[in-house]
Amino acid sequence: MYTHRNLRISFSLSLMILAAWAWCPKTASAVSTAAKYRPISPEELKMTSETRAPDAPAIILYRKVYRDDNGTTSHEDDYFRIKILTEEGRKHADIEIPFDKAAGNVAGIHARTIKPDGAVVDFDGKAFTKSIVKARGIKVLAKTFTLPNVQVGSIIEYYYSVDFTEYKLYESRWILSDELFTKSADFSLKPYTNSNGNDFRVRWTWQNLPSGTDIAKQGPDGIVRLHVSNIPAFVTEDLMPPENELKARIDFIYAEASAESDVNHFWSEVGKHKNGEIESFVGKPKNLEHAIAEIVSPNDPPELKLQKIYARVQKMRNTSYEVEKTEAEQKRAKEKEPANAEDAWKRGYASGFDLTLVYLALVRAAGFEAHAVMVPDRQNYFFSPALMQEDRLDEDIVLVKLNGKNIFCDPGSAFTPFGLLPWTETAVQGLQLDKKAPAWVSSLGPVSNQARTERRAKLTLSDTGDLEGALTVTYTGIEGAQMRREERNADATARKKYLEDNVKEYASAASEVNLTNQPDWKSSELPLVAEFSFKVPGYAAQAGHHVLIPAGIFGAGEKHLFDHAERVHPIYVQYPYMDSDDIDIQLPAGWKVSTLPPGWKDTGKVVSYTIAAQDDNGKLHLSRTVSINFVLLEQKYYPALRSYFQQIKTSDDQQVVVAPGPARAEN
Amino acid sequence: MRAKILSPRAIPAVAALILFCAPLFGAHSQAPEWMHALVNVPLPAHDEKDNAVLLYSEENLTVLSVDKFRTTVRRAYKILRPEGRHYGTLEINFDSLNEKVTSIHAWCIPAGGKDYEVTDKDAIERSPLKGELLVTDERQKLMEIPAPDPGNIIGYEYVKDWHPFVLQDDWDFQHTVPVREAHYSLTLPAGWEFKDAWVNYPELKAHDAGGGLWQWTVGDVKGIRREEAMPPLRGVAGQMVVTLFPPGGVATNSPPTWHDLGEWEGRLTSGRIDPSVEIRQEVNALTASAPTPLAKMRALAEFMQRNIRYVAIELGIGGWQPHPAAQVYEHRYGDCKDKATLMRSMLREIGVESFYVDINVYRGSVTPETPANEFAFNHVIVAIKLPEGLTDPSLVATVKHSSLGTLLFFDPTNQEIPFGEIGGYLQANYGMLVSPAGGELVQLPQQSSAMNGVQRTGRLTLTLSGELQGDVEETRVGDRAAGSRELYTSTQKNDDKIKPVEHLLADSLAMFHITKASVINSDQTDKPFIWNYSFRADNYAKYAGNLLLVRPRVLGSKTWGLLETPEPRSYPIEFDGPVLDTDNFEITLPHGYLVDDVPPAVDADYGFASYHSKTEVTGNVLKYHRAFEVKQLSVPVSQAPQLKKFYRIIASDERNTAVLRLVAQ
Repeated sequence: MYTHRNLRISFSLSLMILAAWAWCPKTASAVSTAAKYRPISPEELKMTSETRAPDAPAIILYRKVYRDDNGTTSHEDDYFRIKILTEEGRKHADIEIPFDKAAGNVAGIHARTIKPDGAVVDFDGKAFTKSIVKARGIKVLAKTFTLPNVQVGSIIEYYYSVDFTEYKLYESRWILSDELFTKSADFSLKPYTNSNGNDFRVRWTWQNLPSGTDIAKQGPDGIVRLHVSNIPAFVTEDLMPPENELKARIDFIYAEASAESDVNHFWSEVGKHKNGEIESFVGKPKNLEHAIAEIVSPNDPPELKLQKIYARVQKMRNTSYEVEKTEAEQKRAKEKEPANAEDAWKRGYASGFDLTLVYLALVRAAGFEAHAVMVPDRQNYFFSPALMQEDRLDEDIVLVKLNGKNIFCDPGSAFTPFGLLPWTETAVQGLQLDKKAPAWVSSLGPVSNQARTERRAKLTLSDTGDLEGALTVTYTGIEGAQMRREERNADATARKKYLEDNVKEYASAASEVNLTNQPDWKSSELPLVAEFSFKVPGYAAQAGHHVLIPAGIFGAGEKHLFDHAERVHPIYVQYPYMDSDDIDIQLPAGWKVSTLPPGWKDTGKVVSYTIAAQDDNGKLHLSRTVSINFVLLEQKYYPALRSYFQQIKTSDDQQVVVAPGPARAEN
Repeated sequence: MRAKILSPRAIPAVAALILFCAPLFGAHSQAPEWMHALVNVPLPAHDEKDNAVLLYSEENLTVLSVDKFRTTVRRAYKILRPEGRHYGTLEINFDSLNEKVTSIHAWCIPAGGKDYEVTDKDAIERSPLKGELLVTDERQKLMEIPAPDPGNIIGYEYVKDWHPFVLQDDWDFQHTVPVREAHYSLTLPAGWEFKDAWVNYPELKAHDAGGGLWQWTVGDVKGIRREEAMPPLRGVAGQMVVTLFPPGGVATNSPPTWHDLGEWEGRLTSGRIDPSVEIRQEVNALTASAPTPLAKMRALAEFMQRNIRYVAIELGIGGWQPHPAAQVYEHRYGDCKDKATLMRSMLREIGVESFYVDINVYRGSVTPETPANEFAFNHVIVAIKLPEGLTDPSLVATVKHSSLGTLLFFDPTNQEIPFGEIGGYLQANYGMLVSPAGGELVQLPQQSSAMNGVQRTGRLTLTLSGELQGDVEETRVGDRAAGSRELYTSTQKNDDKIKPVEHLLADSLAMFHITKASVINSDQTDKPFIWNYSFRADNYAKYAGNLLLVRPRVLGSKTWGLLETPEPRSYPIEFDGPVLDTDNFEITLPHGYLVDDVPPAVDADYGFASYHSKTEVTGNVLKYHRAFEVKQLSVPVSQAPQLKKFYRIIASDERNTAVLRLVAQ
């Protein structure tokens, strides 16, 4: 009935897309001009629209960024000239300059409005600091002020300086993209040099620059410059990759002059250094041999040994997941961080990071070959070795060699079952540490079967159309671990509400849900199983002498996925997952199923969907499975993906026709 | 697992730092006796959903002089659930120009182990987070009390000196958690008197402890558990308002009645509406071509809505007193009272008298039973005295005042509601009208439900393959128009403006494709906001054997799962405003099919709201009409079961399906 050729993108391809997702950063090796208002041209005053941004309510006519990384008084001068094109654009008269208080402060704000007739109104008010909410609900501080007399056709412009805290050289970057279209912009950087000569060298990487943009170049005066034109307005969307991975940007990286510029050698050095730190914590295998004797039996098969050790480490107190203590409590507790794996074992607690290393020490003590692997967290950014950013490898996992296979483990991530990793550490490149030479390895990409939500229900339909009965939901793998982590410090009442809300979120009609069991919130290995009494009043609809029962009882999760027809960014779902429903509905006595909707089975590699309805002598059996099998999809596949989900919704909307009495022949 | 923040190399330095600082953190002090006395007291009635109980609360107001008051506060909570940990974050708000927090102490008595203490030096001071505020002198002392864990008791006390603008104080003794005991005391200098008034709680007599000390105590006060769409907390929680009178009778700034409060405000705002030369010029320019007084008022209202930006400015008495109109005009921004002031100034220039109206945007916060107090309000609008004989059908937000004639209410801060109307949040709400005669509590009008709603009309065609396509027109008025207009105009990217329509269609259609869409009157607030769109929905009608199933209710949902909860409702259900939404869909059916069954008509009228729907067939056209009307803005708890049933009836109707049968060709 349905064809989905467009969506039959191989899963391996989608993973390849993820792996290649560095947006091809390029690298290159490698004055203060106080901003003043620039002359306004008659063309700027007269302009009413911008052909490259036809719908824009306002555009940035010109932007200038000058950054001086001198170390002691590092600062950045920013200059904006904005043209107001529509009534809606007038809101840009409310200026917000976000800043990170820990990194610096905003000073020297000057602003003015130029009316369409060229008359200038200077801003003589004061800017105030307030908290603003940026995309995804993140709160930041901002200097705010409102420019006077802003009308359609006005130009507003302002400049200011950001004074950075002393010796702040990290995170030196230009973010070129703005929420408004930028017609023209100049960026420059005076790199750090110290009084004894330049011990540091700067290099820079760039991504997503508008086509035709030249690479930034360092002039004879040492200043790095870039001119760029026509930068599209940046938009945010649901299910998009980390924002900064998508913006046009240039990152500056400082390194000691003696440091290796060769990428491979750089990581080789990093690997050796990290390996030294970690091996010093892990210690010698014999240090923990006594512990192994307590955990495993010599006759245990190797994999069982690994599992037993894993389970034992997860039973240790993981301080990373405890409620944060105030300073006074920490002082009172007098708890020291374990000095090494043996010390952690004795104390019975450690941070999540260190527990993973305790596991490394234990499996080595049990005779396994195992390595620490430093991996990035793909929740916030996509890692690229080419950028040579050591601090982005900030998580640790353990690679155990078993019968020629690599097994990745992270027992320090609470509630993660053996053999799985938290999703943030999946499908990423990590640095496998070794005393000789580190090597890049890829952690396994997650598959939908490792994050399952399965609903089983035995329901009864009343003759008034109410659906009522028992529902069991089983959360397996990553799904269960995520829920357990989220609710780890909650009490039974909060957990009950959490689970009930989860069911309601997926139910396609307003429902009464009541948790009836006490789920196991402590286990890592066992799925999280929740049992409910479940009722949907008036679920079946009357149509004359027919009664209609929608087939997709738990399809609401997909209802508003991909509503919007347009898409700018790739689709990023964090991790693949599978939702499956298996529902029995006992019909009232004497009621007969007249017509069952046609089933649909599609085992697409990117998304798969199955729905079926069966009649078993007055008992209706409905089954439904949706599997999302990708992590990242290019924007070009969005129309196909959206179409596929619309077809899923169509199938969910299909209805079973029931005759509330002896079955009638339909002709 | 994520790496530690500190590198191993940094640890020695940090360890040295901690050792150096040890005496600061290491000392501990016993919690005071008043807290220890609470360790074994019986808890007030509570259940498993209560995060904490307030074991003890004490507020003492000492009048030091007519312009200096001192408040000391003590509170102690027993934390019952992890969700109650937030009580360990102590936030004390104060206005830095007129208030000073002179001391703070806080303690924790753990269920096991030694007490903790934190003091002023552990507090930080910051600006409270307020989205709309541009300028404020409001500050906040923030302190983290150690170990606010379940089973532990946390408590604090602080002293705040403040300058009163009105000689009143309010005691909010009922909270979202149960209260075991709460005390309030008043210490007055010789010759001072007071009057107390009670809200949402039976009146209690003060105990005269002698020496000018008066005391009140309440015990076992039920916690207010929040429910969706419930009245504002101020409208249901027990409070006491105490008004103070210095020696020599009622002080000039001591308002015990709405009348006096209005007089006080009148003095505070005196001269603020005086126009500048620039205001006069602007008024002349705006009204020169307006032929009638009404046209002139509309021109001024439009100017206020479009050209004076709203930003909150609260500095000292600026929280109460507006800026002069001339300043507001010059800066082109201001808060609600500033905008009201400029509006009044401009109206006066065309010979129209107007008045401030103080109001609370959360309807139900102020009722006729509320004692006169300025704490009750959070917004200012304008009441315009319509010129004698001026009537117009567009002027609906009016009341007849016994001495001032016809008053039209207008909110200059709301940019989307047309002149002549008010938003749902103001309707049937109570505000204090401030006229030269003083203050007076007035009820604003409730507009007809027909003035707020969506009229949706669809002319559609169903094909044999089950595809539905056609055109829909949605006409939105009132708050429904205001909301859509605000969303539409604030959406920057043109491609995104269609999102509300996409969302609406996705709610009701599994598969759809919008073929065209346009908006009429996107920025004309005095006209309806109209969406015209065409769509195609594949597989809209579903085959079931030789039957074709068609849902006549094509778009939109009026049902609400609000009351589908196991717990009984505790508080009335509040609607945003009166509403009348209608849907009319005509679906031309494919040849070869006859309508076998249509859903039954629904006629549900519960007084507070009604719902009527009807499906009928005329020739080969399936017609569906429905009307959903909210008539009453508050549904009492006693009628919650009826409201639940009402929404279930709607849900059922929305799922209903017409059955088409293939006929022999």
